[in-house]
Amino acid sequence: MYKRNLAIAVLMLAVVVGLTLLVACSSNKPLIAEKSGAQLWGENCVRCHNAPSPPAFNDYQWETIAIHMRVRASLTDEEVQKIVEFLKMAN
Amino acid sequence: MKRWGSTIVLVVLMGVLVGFPVYAQTGSTVEQEVKALKPGLSRFLLRGYAHSGFESYEKENSFVGGSFNPIFLWQQSDRLLFEGELEVALEDGTTTLGLEYANMSYIINKRMIVRVGKFLIPFGIFAERLHPRWINRLPSNPLGFNHGEQVGPAAALGAEIRGGAPLGTAKINYSVYIINGPSLNDGSETPEAAGMLHFDNYEDNNTNKAVGGRFGFLPFSSSALELGVSAQYAKVGNENSRYRDVAARLFALDLSLVKTVPAVRGIVDVKAQYSLTQVDDASYINPDKPETMYTFKNENAAYFIQGTFKPAFVANTFFQKLEFAGRYSAMTLAEGAAWGGQKNQWAVSLNYWLDWRTVVKFSYQYTDAPGAEAEAVEHEEEGTPLGGAFLIHWSFGF
Repeated sequence: MYKRNLAIAVLMLAVVVGLTLLVACSSNKPLIAEKSGAQLWGENCVRCHNAPSPPAFNDYQWETIAIHMRVRASLTDEEVQKIVEFLKMAN
Repeated sequence: MKRWGSTIVLVVLMGVLVGFPVYAQTGSTVEQEVKALKPGLSRFLLRGYAHSGFESYEKENSFVGGSFNPIFLWQQSDRLLFEGELEVALEDGTTTLGLEYANMSYIINKRMIVRVGKFLIPFGIFAERLHPRWINRLPSNPLGFNHGEQVGPAAALGAEIRGGAPLGTAKINYSVYIINGPSLNDGSETPEAAGMLHFDNYEDNNTNKAVGGRFGFLPFSSSALELGVSAQYAKVGNENSRYRDVAARLFALDLSLVKTVPAVRGIVDVKAQYSLTQVDDASYINPDKPETMYTFKNENAAYFIQGTFKPAFVANTFFQKLEFAGRYSAMTLAEGAAWGGQKNQWAVSLNYWLDWRTVVKFSYQYTDAPGAEAEAVEHEEEGTPLGGAFLIHWSFGF
């Protein structure tokens, strides 16, 4: 069991290092604070599910959903504010 | 001519005098109607998801599901939120109602949120983020992440502090919680399950509370990669029993990578989690010889790695909506225990997205129990059925 766990941990570590290098090689590195709401919407929502369509909800509903997702997905305050502004503008 | 001019001026004046109040009243009415439609600071929103499908295993096949999970969101102010999720499902011919979670969150400041109630535990990423039917890319859960064969907690009663913060071009998120924690089955009622951890411990079996947390690190500004580590510690034995000092240590590692790859005109999504539970050594009633005791190394592990590819940027609109998913999962339960054993599972799925939150999944999975005796496999009634299975599910987020 111990050897098996060690092997799995090493394998996962190798995958992590490999993926880190892959993303590092193809990633521009602007500060998150410099990003637009549209960018943050495209990058963060897809981490769990497809990016939602802006017309799916109205402005007030987006504000409630934003708090829900801020809690659920541990999004930062700055990201949530920008994403909501974008969704309001686009719906 | 002068007379005609005076008449026109008179008519215009009358029009203004008569029309102005009408106009003013109309404007006021519209304003009132708009005001009536504008929600106040207290806002209610009903969201959720539903699913249904058909599953064919080697020895049985049936239409399944017909369940739905309404999520109630009540926003009391910019800082206060209540969220609750029910699960209404059909089980063995009866309709069941379950409380998935119900909790209150308060945003203390930009970096800290406090949450109290029953909440999904951030032990890895599957239970908290990936389990909803319209988010899970396969119709089934990985081995070790199902009710009844669970390695690690999914939901619990307690209190939590959590948040997220930018860190230059990177980002972090964290959670620290205190909950009732799992309870240890001491075998007094079901000797064959002695030593198992039960995570549905909603009325605490002892005065000890479990403490745990998760730390997530997103090294790149694109948020494409997230690495997480989780841990939890608690004494799990019943208060007035010989097992009161038996403790359980839980660990999890998780990974999430979502990346648009222009070369293949699509989105690659990789998710993985490894969960481990370790319970202190203890002696339990031997289910084969009840007058004797036996012991075993009470260590359980489960992991999955899942990959999906969605050709979202090809020209053909039909192919844009397709998604290919594959997953390998495995579960090893305490060697030497009456309930111990090992299972592996391969699962592949072809998904078609009708819109961003509605998907039809056509899946095949094969579950194996290496080392298990044929007789034991034959009589296995609980958990994921062994062998091959076709699953077709329709999941719907709303």
